[in-house]
Amino acid sequence: MASLQQAGLQQGRFQQVRLQQTTVVTLVLATYLSAAAFAESKKEYRFTVGPNANVSVDTQYGAISVRPGSVNQVVVTATIKSASVEVDQQQSGNRIEIASHLLQGADQQNGQVDYEVLIPPDATLNLHSSTGPLSAERLQGDLTLEGTDAVVNVRNVANGHVHVRTMRGPITLTDVRNGHVEIASISGDVHLKSVSGPLVQANSGSGKIFYDGDFSSGGDYRFTTHTGDIEALAPSEVSADFSAHSVLGRVQNDFKLQPKHSRFSVEEGRSFFGTVGKAASKVVLRSFSGRIRLKQR
Amino acid sequence: MTCSDVERALPEMLDGTPDGSLAAEFETHVKSCPDCSDLVSDLKLIASEARQLAASEEPAPRVWVRIAAELRAEGLIHDREHDRDSEPASAPGRPILVPTSPRRRWSAWWLAPVAAGLVAAGSYVISHKPASAVAKQQAPATPGTSPSTSPASGSPTWVAETPAVTSGGTSGENAAAVRAPAPERLAQKSAPPKGVSGSSAEPAPSPEDQQFLSVVSTRAPSMRATYENQLQAVNADILETQAYVNRNPGDVDARQHLMDAYQQKALLYQIALDRIQ
Repeated sequence: MASLQQAGLQQGRFQQVRLQQTTVVTLVLATYLSAAAFAESKKEYRFTVGPNANVSVDTQYGAISVRPGSVNQVVVTATIKSASVEVDQQQSGNRIEIASHLLQGADQQNGQVDYEVLIPPDATLNLHSSTGPLSAERLQGDLTLEGTDAVVNVRNVANGHVHVRTMRGPITLTDVRNGHVEIASISGDVHLKSVSGPLVQANSGSGKIFYDGDFSSGGDYRFTTHTGDIEALAPSEVSADFSAHSVLGRVQNDFKLQPKHSRFSVEEGRSFFGTVGKAASKVVLRSFSGRIRLKQR
Repeated sequence: MTCSDVERALPEMLDGTPDGSLAAEFETHVKSCPDCSDLVSDLKLIASEARQLAASEEPAPRVWVRIAAELRAEGLIHDREHDRDSEPASAPGRPILVPTSPRRRWSAWWLAPVAAGLVAAGSYVISHKPASAVAKQQAPATPGTSPSTSPASGSPTWVAETPAVTSGGTSGENAAAVRAPAPERLAQKSAPPKGVSGSSAEPAPSPEDQQFLSVVSTRAPSMRATYENQLQAVNADILETQAYVNRNPGDVDARQHLMDAYQQKALLYQIALDRIQ
């Protein structure tokens, strides 16, 4: 009995060692072949521009990341996934256009081009990508970011207008001030942190909207969803005129509101209206069937 | 002595009947070879534990006979001819370990090309992954107009999602489900609110929607399923809101939401057509 066990164990042990060796060799071989098949290349493009340049980057598949650079130069670094896609670039005076051009047989894997862009801080920027992600930070010009599934991230933007549209990509804005903010998404979630300005508008069909800020600048803040929830977090010293209504959902409010006249009839649990402080800003929260919560930080 | 030699000598060593010179070489190699050392330790442990097993815990002899027969059939063991006479008839002949044949030694190498082929095939499949199939719907109903009360024939079975939260409310119209925002899933509509004529039918694409999807299919086939799912969700919102407005024509806010829902649909068209190349 013991000998049978010995025989079985021994055989199994040596086979296991051989199998491990084979697996390692195979994995190394496969990795090398995969890398060779998807040969990447990098290209850099430089453009000289004047003030208020207009930069547009459009890629079907791939990430676009934009940061401030020199005041009179636009630098674009494109990481091209394969020979199935090429980069078209064009300059007309102060207008720069960069676009990925898919060739025959290109798909989401081999047609990907990632861009890293340095632009003058005051430049107007247009970004388009289906897959993304799209990111822009520390800029002062107008920004337009559009993606289907792209994750959009905008941080530290001041004085410029920010327009974002996605189909289902989530959108996050952080420290965006003094400009118009207009966000629209079919089903993407929207996160706004320290976002303020004369107009801050966010609309999502089934996505959620989260706001964490002070509703400052005497601005007009409008958040609308169809089925998504809306949650706003504000400090106790906020100064705003609040109006919230959900047709079929519930509303909840942590603030003690001074009543005000409204064209809407107040329906307990479905709406609230009132002011806090001097009502410097206007805040309108609307949803068809989502839940609305105004919470005090 | 090599590892193969150790392998052949193992049964003899563990049985405690080693040849003198063999034992010395065996011990020398085991001390210097970590693999063989581990193997010997494991086997010794098993052998010692096995001896402590009570007789009542030992499987019936027929179990070992059967195991031996299978090992013999695989060629891993063969019986010692000279031992058979001294063994009881019911016990299996003492097997000896058969050194692995050169063919067996290389038997694992066939895995290399097979595994490489599988990896290549997997890479090809992932890189050419077709769009997820979505059942085609035949439905003539135009969304946003009068809600249909029964699904059109041939309407697909959408992937339904359990409604997440039923929004509470004081009114009787509190059964509308809050749809989870996951884009690939359509929330199954809950039963219509009490006292309200139902609009629980699946939203059907209008001729315009079908034309739109046809264009998407032609120019961006991989995106068709995504756009179709989003379109269905938007159409469902329009239907739902339209139904509510029909029941509550004086609700200004609901009318505004209906407009918003149509704007969402327009946004979807715009995003799709901007992206189609």
